[in-house]
Amino acid sequence: MTTRGIDFKALSLKDALDLAVLIEQEAKERYEEFAAQMDQHRTPEAATFFRHMALNEAKHGEELAARRATLFGNAPASVTRAMIFDIEAPDYDAARAFMSPRKAMEAALASEVKAHAFFMAAMPSIQDQGVKLLFQELSGEEVQHQDLVKAELAKLPPDSGLSDEDFVDEPAAQ
Amino acid sequence: MSATCEFQAKDYKSDLKPIWCPGCGDYSVVQGIYRALAAIGRPPHEIAFISGIGCSSRIPGYTTAYGFNTVHGRALPIAQGIKLANPDLLVLAAGGDGDGFSIGGGHIAHLIRRNIDITYIVMDNQIYGLTKGQLSPTSQKGRITVTSQHGSLEEPVNPLLYTLAYGAGFVAQASPTDLASMASIIEEAIRYPGFAFVNIQSPCVTYGEEAQQIKGLKAISENLSTLGHNPADRLAAMDLAQQYGRKLHLGVFYRNPEPAPTYDGLIRERQAALSKGALPKERILDLFIKK
Ligand SMILES: Cc1ncc(C[n+]2csc(CCOP(=O)(O)OP(=O)(O)O)c2C)c(N)n1
Ligand code: SF4
Ligand SMILES: [Mg+2]
Repeated sequence: MTTRGIDFKALSLKDALDLAVLIEQEAKERYEEFAAQMDQHRTPEAATFFRHMALNEAKHGEELAARRATLFGNAPASVTRAMIFDIEAPDYDAARAFMSPRKAMEAALASEVKAHAFFMAAMPSIQDQGVKLLFQELSGEEVQHQDLVKAELAKLPPDSGLSDEDFVDEPAAQ
Repeated sequence: MSATCEFQAKDYKSDLKPIWCPGCGDYSVVQGIYRALAAIGRPPHEIAFISGIGCSSRIPGYTTAYGFNTVHGRALPIAQGIKLANPDLLVLAAGGDGDGFSIGGGHIAHLIRRNIDITYIVMDNQIYGLTKGQLSPTSQKGRITVTSQHGSLEEPVNPLLYTLAYGAGFVAQASPTDLASMASIIEEAIRYPGFAFVNIQSPCVTYGEEAQQIKGLKAISENLSTLGHNPADRLAAMDLAQQYGRKLHLGVFYRNPEPAPTYDGLIRERQAALSKGALPKERILDLFIKK
């Protein structure tokens, strides 16, 4: 979870909304990538869950983009995708071949925790009142998302006891 | 060179879906490369991306650049040939620790001493991933693998010292623990006018050791800039490089403040000089025909 070249002190509401949209887009794309990886490794339950997460992130991104359009129209953006890295997107390292639905949900939960931490860490530097309110709102939403994932996790039957290691090919001497 | 035009990371992403194991560090490396290429801004058709054989060597296929997944250990000589045949191309070479420092280890010295203007990215996972977990030249001493059942008796190759000692003008290290700095290090390596080497500690989640996974790497990583390292100081770089395997220093170890002329540049100059006195092509036969 890193940023590059963002001056949080000078962040305007337009920049902050653009940033939030980019964060959602990054997360959506990462979940789609994870879903494709799971398809490739014949792990359909985790793939379905990651697709569901991708849809959620897309929806949230569209809502934020609509807000940005209402407030600022087509004014050019000054933040770019190259400025954010793995903010709400789960780290590549979080995926595993044959991961159980529980492991997939835990990966999503960790990402929501990460996103909340990002907004909280940025907060002290923010000068603009509108941005402050937006970041409070977004960090609050991350907590709600965490609760939703936790509720889903609680509904899951206990894991089979198999770990992903059980499915991995043995090393070979060649 | 093309007229400048804005490119985004997604413009360098091909439609091919990576078949690496989920969690593999190489997923982050390819993202770092997309971002670095977008920052450089050369169109994909002006880039040639050459690799050897290994999991990591699949990487050119996941980009929209011209790619050549060549033969095990031979990424560098082929990349060199491509650069000399068409010096206007931006040439990248990539592969694994086995590809680069075992079977292909002999080539690095020659690209460095010639100072061919290419960027060489090694995804160092300290294992042979593709062939399922054998000892690699960068595996730690004592490492147990299927080909070292009682623990390796060999000291690992140190890729940083190796390239610094041969005189590489640009040597850096990155890891997926910090994707932002990985992207900027790759960008800097590409911008360096000469042979540039980037060692990336990219965990193999399937056959790699626990200590070399992201968590383990984070625990030993230190940013060279926060250490106050001066990248123009080659001896200080060599000193730091000795800690390879114990510490994970991220950033630029060495950047020659006065880059040497490149071989491809010198060849161009010589061609221009020699062609000045040469006969035009249509009169070449005159040399062999007695008047
Ligand atoms: C001439 C030759 N020898 C051996 C092999 C078998 N082989 C394929 S990839 C590989 C090593 C892969 O390790 P590395 O280069 O570290 O890449 P990784 O898969 O770890 O990314 C070997 C020994 C081969 N393909 N060709
Ligand atoms: S075997 Fe290792 S290096 Fe190869 S794709 Fe899997 S995790 Fe990556
Ligand atoms: Mg390897």
